[in-house]
Formats: sequence, C-alpha cells, structure tokens
Amino acid sequence: MSKSSETVDNNGFIISNNDQDPVVDSPAERWLNWLGQTNLGKCSTVITLLFGIYVRWNVGLNPYSGQNIPPMYGDYEAQRHWMELTLHVPMNRWYYYDLEWWGLDYPPLTAYVSWICGKIGSMFNPEWFALDVSRGFESEESKLFMRSSVLILEYLIYVPSVIVFVNWWLASKSWQKRRLAVLFILLQPALILIDHGHFQYNSVMLGLTVWSLNCFFYEYYVIGSVAFCLALGFKQMSLYFSPAIFAYLLGKCIKNKPQGFILFVKLGVTVIITFVIMFFPFLDSVEHISQVIIRMFPLNRGLYEDKVANFWCAINIIIKLREMFEIHVLTRISLFTTLLAILPSCINLGLNPDKHRLVYCLANSALAFFMFSFQVHEKSILLPALPITLLTLDEPFWSSWFNNVALFSMFPLLKKDRLILPYFVVWFMWNWMGSFVQRDVKPVVLRYISWASYLVMAVIHFFDFNIDPPKRYPDLYIVLNVTFSSGIHLFMLLYFNYRQITLPYNLDEKKDKRKAE
Amino acid sequence: MLKDLIIFSTFVKLLLFPTYRSTDFEVHRNWLAITHSLPISKWYYEDRSEWTLDYPPFFAWFEWILSQFAPLADKEMLRVDNLNYTSDATIYFQRATVIISELVLFYALKKYLTTNNMKNKNLLNILAASIFLNPGILIGNDLMCGIMFAVLLNFKHIFLYLAPAYFVYLLRHYCFQETSIQGTKKFSLKHFFFLGVSVIIIFLLSFGPFIIMGQLGQVLSRLFPFKRGLCHAYWAPNFWALYSAMDRVLIVFAKRLGWTLNESAIGSITRGLVGDVNFALLPQVKANHTFILTLIFQMASLVKLWKRPSYKNFLVSLILNGYSSFLFGWHVHEKAILLVMIPFSLISADNIALFRSYMILAVSGLYSLFPLLFKLTESTIKIVICLLWFILTFMGILSNLNYKRNNIKKYSQSNESKLSYLIKIIENIYMYGFIILQFFTGIVHQIIYKDGKYPFLPLLSTSIYCAFGVIYSWIRLSVIYFLGKDDENQEVNS
Repeated sequence: MSKSSETVDNNGFIISNNDQDPVVDSPAERWLNWLGQTNLGKCSTVITLLFGIYVRWNVGLNPYSGQNIPPMYGDYEAQRHWMELTLHVPMNRWYYYDLEWWGLDYPPLTAYVSWICGKIGSMFNPEWFALDVSRGFESEESKLFMRSSVLILEYLIYVPSVIVFVNWWLASKSWQKRRLAVLFILLQPALILIDHGHFQYNSVMLGLTVWSLNCFFYEYYVIGSVAFCLALGFKQMSLYFSPAIFAYLLGKCIKNKPQGFILFVKLGVTVIITFVIMFFPFLDSVEHISQVIIRMFPLNRGLYEDKVANFWCAINIIIKLREMFEIHVLTRISLFTTLLAILPSCINLGLNPDKHRLVYCLANSALAFFMFSFQVHEKSILLPALPITLLTLDEPFWSSWFNNVALFSMFPLLKKDRLILPYFVVWFMWNWMGSFVQRDVKPVVLRYISWASYLVMAVIHFFDFNIDPPKRYPDLYIVLNVTFSSGIHLFMLLYFNYRQITLPYNLDEKKDKRKAE
Repeated sequence: MLKDLIIFSTFVKLLLFPTYRSTDFEVHRNWLAITHSLPISKWYYEDRSEWTLDYPPFFAWFEWILSQFAPLADKEMLRVDNLNYTSDATIYFQRATVIISELVLFYALKKYLTTNNMKNKNLLNILAASIFLNPGILIGNDLMCGIMFAVLLNFKHIFLYLAPAYFVYLLRHYCFQETSIQGTKKFSLKHFFFLGVSVIIIFLLSFGPFIIMGQLGQVLSRLFPFKRGLCHAYWAPNFWALYSAMDRVLIVFAKRLGWTLNESAIGSITRGLVGDVNFALLPQVKANHTFILTLIFQMASLVKLWKRPSYKNFLVSLILNGYSSFLFGWHVHEKAILLVMIPFSLISADNIALFRSYMILAVSGLYSLFPLLFKLTESTIKIVICLLWFILTFMGILSNLNYKRNNIKKYSQSNESKLSYLIKIIENIYMYGFIILQFFTGIVHQIIYKDGKYPFLPLLSTSIYCAFGVIYSWIRLSVIYFLGKDDENQEVNS
C-alpha cells in the first residue's frame, strides 16, 4: 500500500492540495495490511461493523442522560416520553400535550419514528409506555430496548450511508484506504458517546444527510433532496447544513441551462411535496402549524442556554451581551453574523458546484451556524463534525484535531452523565488507532500548536479532577473549556473556509470529460 | 504487532468495565480480604462467606500481594465481613488487576513466539490462547518446564488434570537419555534427582507453612470438595451430562413399562443447583468410579507418549488428558474446557484434520459457556465477540491452509473418499445447528413456555448438544493421534 503523498489520483488529476504526507504507520493501517496478507481482506468490513457494535453496546451499558435523577431525568426520558405520547395521544394534540414534561420539540419525523419504537416496545412490555404512569420509568429491560433502538436505527441508516460515501469518495484509492476510512468514521468518539451514552438519535439525521450527499454524487438530485428534507424533518438542527445544500443545488441549476431550470422546478416541487407529506397531519389550521413551529424554534429562550463552545458564550466573559441588549436585538445580531459567516463559502460553492467542494461547504456552513447562531446546544458540534469526519483521510491532522476538541468541548455534559470512563477509553482508542496525534502537517508550527492545545486539555482535566474550583467561580473549568474550545472552533472555521476556496476548480468537469473520452 | 495487540486488548477490556460482574468478583474480593486481614493459620478455616478459599497456597499468596495494593483504591473491600461489597473503586481495582495479570500472560506468549519459528498464521492463535497461563508448555527446556508446571499446580490445582501427561513426558524425555547405542535409552539418575527435588521444593514452599501448622488435611479438603456432586450447576457438556440425560429418558420409558425406580432420584438432577446426584435407573456413580475411568483413558494416550516422547506427542497427549478429565471427571466446571481448548489451539493450524477437530471443540466449548452470561445485556456482547473471534481465527487459519495446500499440490476431488465427504457434511450440519440451538434457547423457548414451565430445558439441550461436539472431537483427535505416523520431520516443518 503506497504511503506517498496522495495529491494525484489515477487519472492524473489533483484531488487535493493536501501536502500532508501520511508517513505515520498507524495501528489501523498495520491491521489492514495484516488482514490483506492473511487473505482476510474480504472480512474486514464485517469485522469493523461487528467491532462497532461491540463498542456501542458497551458504551450503552453506562448510565444514560438523567439516569436515576428524578424529578426531571434527562434526554432519555424525553425520548421515552415521546414514544409514550405518540402512542396514546391523538395526533392533533401531539404538540400540545403537557408541554412542561418534555414536550415534543422536534419535527414530525421524529414523532413518527418514536411511534414505531413505542409500538414495538409495547409488544415486549406495555408498562414502559403506559400513558402518564410511566413517567420516569426505568428498568434494565427498557434500557436495553431503548439502547437497541438507537443501535438498530444507526446500523440501518447511518452505517450503510458511510460505506457508500467512502466507496465513491475514495473510489480511486486502494481497498485498504477505503476500509480505513470506514473504520475511522464509524469509531468517531463524539457521535458514539452522545448517541449511545447520553442517548439521542443523531445518527438518523446524520445518516439521512450522508444519503443525500451520496445521491448528489451519483447525480440523483431529486432523491437526494428528498433525503435531505427527511433529515430536516427529523431534526431541525440539520438546517445548519441547508445553506450549503441549497447553494449546491442552485449552482447546479444555474450552471446547466436550460435543463437547470427544469431541475429547479423539479426540486422545488419535490421539497414542497415532501414537507407537505411530513407535516400533513399538522396543516389543518394556521394555529396548529404555528404551534409546531414555535415548539421547533423556541426563540424566546435566549441567545444561548448553558455553556456552549461558540462565539457568543465565549464573548460573554468580557462583553455581557445578554445584559446589554434586548432579545430581539440579539436575534438580529446573531442572524446577521451567521449570514456573514456562511456567505463566503456558500457563494463559492454556488458558483462552483463541485462535489468535493460540497462536503467542505457543509462543514463551513455547520460550523458558522454553530459559532454564531441562536440557541445553540453543545451537542450541535456533531453537525460540523460529520463532514469533517468524512474528510478524515483527506485531512488527517485537521479532522482529528477538530474531533478531539469537539469531544473535549462536550466533556461537561458527559461528566454530568457519569460517562467519564467511556469518554476516555473511546477517545484514546480512536486516537491510538489512527495515530492522529503524530500526524504531520505543513507548516510544522501548527503541529506544535495542536500539541499545546492537547496539553491545555490535559491540564484542564487534571485540575477538574483534583482541585475544587474557587467558590466565586464554581463553573470555572467549564468556562475555561468553553472558551478554549470556541477559540479552536473559530480557527477551524477559518481553516476550512480557506481549504474550500483553495480546492482545485472544475474538477468534476474534467472528470466527466475524461469519462466521455 | 504484538504491542498493538496488547494495547488493543486493553482497550477492549476497559470497554467492558460496566458489564455484569459474576460471583467470581465477590469470590476474589473475599479472598483479598481473607489474605490481607487474617493470619495465615486462619486462611483455610475462614468460612463466613460461602466462597471459601479453595485454591492452592500460591494463589493465596498472589491474592495477598494484590491486597497490598488494594488500600490505594478502597480499604473497605478488605474487611472480611464486608460481604458483597461493590464500591466503584473496588470494581476498578479488581478489573485493573485482571488486566495487569494478563500482561504477564502476554509475556509468556511472547516467549512462545520467539522460541519456535513462527510464521504469520500463528499470530492468530494468540487470540485463542489468550487465557492460558502456563509458560511451561511453551518452553522447550524440560527442567524449566517441570518447575513451571509445579509452580502452576500450586496456583490452580485444576491443572492436576494435565499432570499425568507432564509426568510421563518429563520422565521419559528428560530422565531417559539417549545413549551412544542407537535406539536404547538409559535411565539418568542425575536428571531424575534434579527434577524430583525441584518439584518437591516447590511444593514445600507452597504447602510448607500449612504442614508445619498441621493444617494439611483442612487445606486438602478445601481444595478437593468431593461433597459437591457429580454434575456442576450448569452441567458441563461431558459424558456424565449424556449419562444423566439418558437416565431421564429411561425414566419416561420405565414409567410406561412399570419398572421399579429409585423414586428419590427423580427430582434431583434437574434442579440446576449444586448437590448430590442420584440416578433413577442407571447405576449410581461415585467419585472413585470417575477417577478410575479418567485414569484409564489417560493411560491410553500416555502409553504412546512413553514409546515416543516427542514434543508433538506431548502436546497431543496433554490435550487428550485434558479431554479425559473433562469428560469423565467429578464435578467438572464448564470452564475446564478451556484447559483442553488452549493447548489444542497451539497445534490446530498444522493440518486440516486437526483444524476441523479443533473447530468443533471450540464452538461446542465456547457455546457451552454461554449460559454463564445469562443476562440479556451481556448476550449481545458475547455473540459479537465470538463472531469476531470465529471469523479471525477460523477464516484465517482456513484460508492459510488452503493457500498452503494449493501451493504444495493440486487439491483433487478424487483424493477424498466418499466417507470423509459424508463426515464433512455431517460436521457442517452440526455446526450450523448451533444457530438453531441459540434461536431455540434464546427466543423460542421463552415464547412457547411463557409461564416458565420446564425452566431447565434450554440448559439441558445446550449441555447435551455441546457434549456431542466435545466427545466427537475427542474421538477424532484420538483417531488422528493413534493412527498417525510418527514422523520426526513433521516437527521441523510445522
């Protein structure tokens, strides 16, 4: 397997300006080489998938969000409650039912999926979802069921999408590179710890997004946009990606006249129809659909809740924005800055709708939203983490650095969930497998900066575990964490924008021309 | 590569921290407490907990050494009356000791890799052999081998099962030396003396303090609790499991035909608990019966070892000894199958016949251990791990064997007789049958017998099905061993 700098693909075209020479021989690469030598190459995907199940299952054995913490418990109880509510409450009351106890605040697709899970779960034991009386219900078996639902949905939707993605993205590389990419992507610590530890269904939304990418790669634009609409319909958070997707599709429409116009109409109609179908039960009155939208976008909650590693929270240390301005002013400031942040990358993509550029733009768009948007949660870092993780083999140094910082920024949340041990184990294991910390980069000074950042992380962890924070600043370590992480995130935003703009142009056309010859 | 394996396996084990803790956890906590807090004279008398100290003295000393570090984690675990204490720190400490002691294991394996000319395929055996704690088997030096085994015996006396093979091999190979005259061997008093004295010294080191205190009888009664009954709680898949099953079947017939029965026996063996077993129709089995039977079968393989004490023969007779003890022994625990599996894995990659025997044994043996992890949460893990292990070891060995065979000679269909083809098919069907068995015991049984009738049925069927596999692989290996040619060259090529 050649380890030379892969800047040129088999057809002689420059794929990336990536000067990063993978001279590091990581354990994962050694593993795949060994598999190849012992003629087990065909089994490597199965082995990766089985190991993925093993890791996720074991993480799942740890406490979930809010386990054993009455009265409100946590996200797990929210999901369980939605299964209960969709099962027993008539559809037109779903977004009204007892909003104080984890009212439904995701779009309808989550509700439909919850309904299916509730139906299946009730076959095992209806007590888990009995209306009202099952609030805060906790048992071994129900935990097993819930954890399994996350795992099964992930393996049905997210995992295949990743495999298809890698097969297209690295089609011109060796099979070992492809298996390597699958391994790194599927063992990314952040998603595992949130979905299988804290308890959420992010992998469904992320999987649907990757499916839309896959469709775009194979130029099935209509199906791709349906997939993305489904992602939006599952969690409104995927709006972070929408500028990039929109810019890409718009760019495609504009580029090929006159078919572009037909495509534009087709896409418009598809999107409208998809949304109408998804929201159909809630379109019976303006008041109803407004209620749904208000639940999905609670604008009166403030610029940010808790501590999140974005721009506003970091700035707040010096400039107390929340005290200076009214909420509607802050909304406008945030909107304005977000638009400003996404504009460069989206315009660049719109004018040059290349497939590689699309993935970078997804990262930029999501990162921009994360940094400047309204009511961002720390878990939203998973959104930019998706495209950046997909780029692991293209940008081993940056992608892994980002993932490490992203995971670190979620530590306060994981600590609250008592997931400290799996946090360290999965994190270190992933880094060890890819030898990420030892990756090379030009200019070399960046490597030292990354090591310095890891040192900062280690110091903050050390202090957090051993020394109590001063009484005046009980959240000192969290604040330090957040400030540090948001600085790095901002840096990443700048870098990935830079990368997107410096990607080679007209790559897709050259490829198509070549194919036609 | 080995370093990668060690680091990776540590991660794998760290991930398992939140899983089910078997009673072994409390057993070891108790032993840490006993060895730390009580004087030596009380170690084998202490019985406040039901998990009394029933391993030989070296293991007790091992626990004592570990207990010196325990206060770093949690002092409370060392109180003898603190039964079933499970603080987080205790759990972390005990898990950590397991991981660290397994590093010792890897050191032993490393020795193996460097003393034999290893080719790549043997690395696969590392995974299978990863629980084996006997460095003796891996070292070519006979005297060291004997000493190591004696030490090992004093850690866990379960290795007594393998002692005859060691004894015969060492006696024949080490104590009889080649003379200048071709074909004859001379008894070397010097070597015999060295071996004998070393072994006796080891045993004195271990049991000495207890002999001085006059407690030898008590220690031995703890080590060999013959009161425990013929069959262990979960029915190891051995000969006696089939024997008991046959008895049950005959009871049904007897009731129909009106034969006289031993009435008290009808309820006894299916309780799933520890206790004396009575048979209704077939003759009763006492401890000495099992002992004699085991010895007879062990003798058979030892005769051949005596005649030609090569290293290969030693390994195989070791395995066969393990088999006999497992199949015919008294109160055999399912875990004892590991004693057979692990040495077997070391030679399984040598040729296809050995490989197939090993495959059947491994699957039957591993599967019989499944009931030990009965909690639903752990069953996914065990299935995943076994699948992974299966793919890696078997597919790897198989593909390498095919590769080698294709290189050496063209594999022609006509070489295979009709009989061996038929045998192959039956073996494959048996293997696939495990999937059906798992389906039945895991899901179907719970659905059909929702009210909990026949609760012993899954365990019973598991035991019997696996017993067939274990006995079959034993017969297969014996056939290979007894009918195989003594080819000295084989050792060089393997």
